[in-house]
Amino acid sequence: MAVDHRDDVGVGVGRRSEPFPVVEVTDVARRFGEAEALRSVSLSVNAGEIHALLGPNGAGKTTLMRILTGLLERHGGEVKVFGTSMDDVPLRDYRRAFGFIPSGDRSFYLRLSGIENLLFFGRLSGMDKVRARARAAACLEDVGLGDVGKKMVGLYSHGMQKRLAVARALLMDPSLLYIDEATHDLDPSGAHRVRQLVRARAQQGAAVLWATQRLDEIRGFADRVTLLHQGLVRFVGTVDELMAMVTIDRYALDLDGGPRSAADVTELARSAIGEMGSIAPKAGSEGRHYELALGAGASIGRVVWALEQAGVQVRSCREERSGIESAFLHLTEATE
Amino acid sequence: MSVTLPSTGRWDAFREDFAKAPAFLRRDLISLFSYRIAYLTDWINIVVQVFLFYFVSMLVPPDRLPTYGGEQVSYLEYVAVALTLTSFVQAGLGRLIAAIRNEQLMGTLESLMVAPMSPEMLQFGSMVYDLIYVPLRTAIFLILVSVLFGVQFNVAGLVPTSVIFVFFMPFMWGLGILSAAAVLTFKRGAGVVGIVGTVLTFTSGAYFPISYLPPWLQWVAEWNPITVAVEASRQALLATITWAEVGEAVALIVPFSIASLAAGVAAFRLAMRRERRRGTMSLY
Repeated sequence: MAVDHRDDVGVGVGRRSEPFPVVEVTDVARRFGEAEALRSVSLSVNAGEIHALLGPNGAGKTTLMRILTGLLERHGGEVKVFGTSMDDVPLRDYRRAFGFIPSGDRSFYLRLSGIENLLFFGRLSGMDKVRARARAAACLEDVGLGDVGKKMVGLYSHGMQKRLAVARALLMDPSLLYIDEATHDLDPSGAHRVRQLVRARAQQGAAVLWATQRLDEIRGFADRVTLLHQGLVRFVGTVDELMAMVTIDRYALDLDGGPRSAADVTELARSAIGEMGSIAPKAGSEGRHYELALGAGASIGRVVWALEQAGVQVRSCREERSGIESAFLHLTEATE
Repeated sequence: MSVTLPSTGRWDAFREDFAKAPAFLRRDLISLFSYRIAYLTDWINIVVQVFLFYFVSMLVPPDRLPTYGGEQVSYLEYVAVALTLTSFVQAGLGRLIAAIRNEQLMGTLESLMVAPMSPEMLQFGSMVYDLIYVPLRTAIFLILVSVLFGVQFNVAGLVPTSVIFVFFMPFMWGLGILSAAAVLTFKRGAGVVGIVGTVLTFTSGAYFPISYLPPWLQWVAEWNPITVAVEASRQALLATITWAEVGEAVALIVPFSIASLAAGVAAFRLAMRRERRRGTMSLY
């Protein structure tokens, strides 16, 4: 797990304990030719908060990240970090304030070892050699790469390179992390590990802006969500508030009709449900797996009860799409 | 506790940036050392080059060449001094372009760009390795020529030659930065600056006396900073040169160096600003 090295390094920006907005994005706009990549986007990220920037491909997440990291100019709006407009400080000073994990999978020198890469970027960030070496070693340990630190990065797996990117972002012990699609192609355990590291930093007071298109990872992880679609903010709130945007009306049921044939179970289930909705077997499921679409005003509880009464046992029932996915599609498809 | 963005003064920023140079050197040393065979081929090339010019020198009678200190010199002596300088020219022109292009291709350019440092440090950092390696390589080249073929260089001329090189390097460095700006802007646009480099080398008198050029090209050659540096270095290493003569050469070179460096730095800054505006920094 992450270890707090602030005291022995002391390179982070100033901190205070109560939540306060670390990043304030107000009406930020960006065009590429005629295309409007971002249209009046506003959001804020508090200290200690993980703020998910959610959106499908092409929503404008990476564009916003590039603006926030000073890699791209914006065409309107304002960005404040720690209450200071990023226009009011030289870029080199602004860039001390954050750690950044880029979305690309190539951001290291492949012929250099992991520790040499971190040492190099640590030196570029302004640390002296002794500090940079200490921090590089500590951060490698934090991300679980301590034992392969001397291996060339070219020999690292994709997941290891991603963890190395996390280590690099943490080198300066920043109070602000910009993270762009950190887990989009990691295996579940790799993704979990990265999320754990980031969560630990947030618990230590860092503000985290986490761009992702993966819905599954923000539940139980992100404190707040900004849903971006076609350059526009569609939603800002908590994950629970996002899920409350829609009523779940599609379920996957696992039914057991005993010795009855698949056709009989289907017929029995349809008659039991009646006007409460429609049910159809999933292709190739041999009468076990069904898809239920609830009708208006119907409840899943009444449907389950009706099926049980008709002699069809409901072995399992789950949302066909997660609530968060439904909300996401509801908010994004509305504008397609 | 008040929470503010850190702020660095101009002098502190310069000092802090300069302290990053060893990090670039270490990166390049480790990276290049991992390609050991590249070193070997470089040295094989040097040896081959020495032999090539040794045999060419057999074809060129010394009386076709200028005299230095009243003495006739062999073609090998004549060209060896120029080769030391042209290796700086190639490094100055090529290294930064190669570095920027490599960073683009490896995907590390944006990682460097989000580091808190000035664009000038990126340029300087990319050159640090060559600033050490090229003089070393040049010295070994001269020793090799001297040992293998008994060519006598005036050892006392090394210091004046080094002084001339110090004032000459910013000229080539400026052209190199211009090329790097062209790479950032046009992605494969360094060819134009490459042509300028070729023309400058061609008219420099490095491989043949400029007296053989047509009169109008001779006029160009006389104003070519490479010609000035090459001729002063020949004078220093093959004969003797006074500090007054070094001063004259430096006085001719310095305005070109200042102009070239200023143009390069300005072009690079413009190119960076343009890339930030367009969002095409990492495209290649």
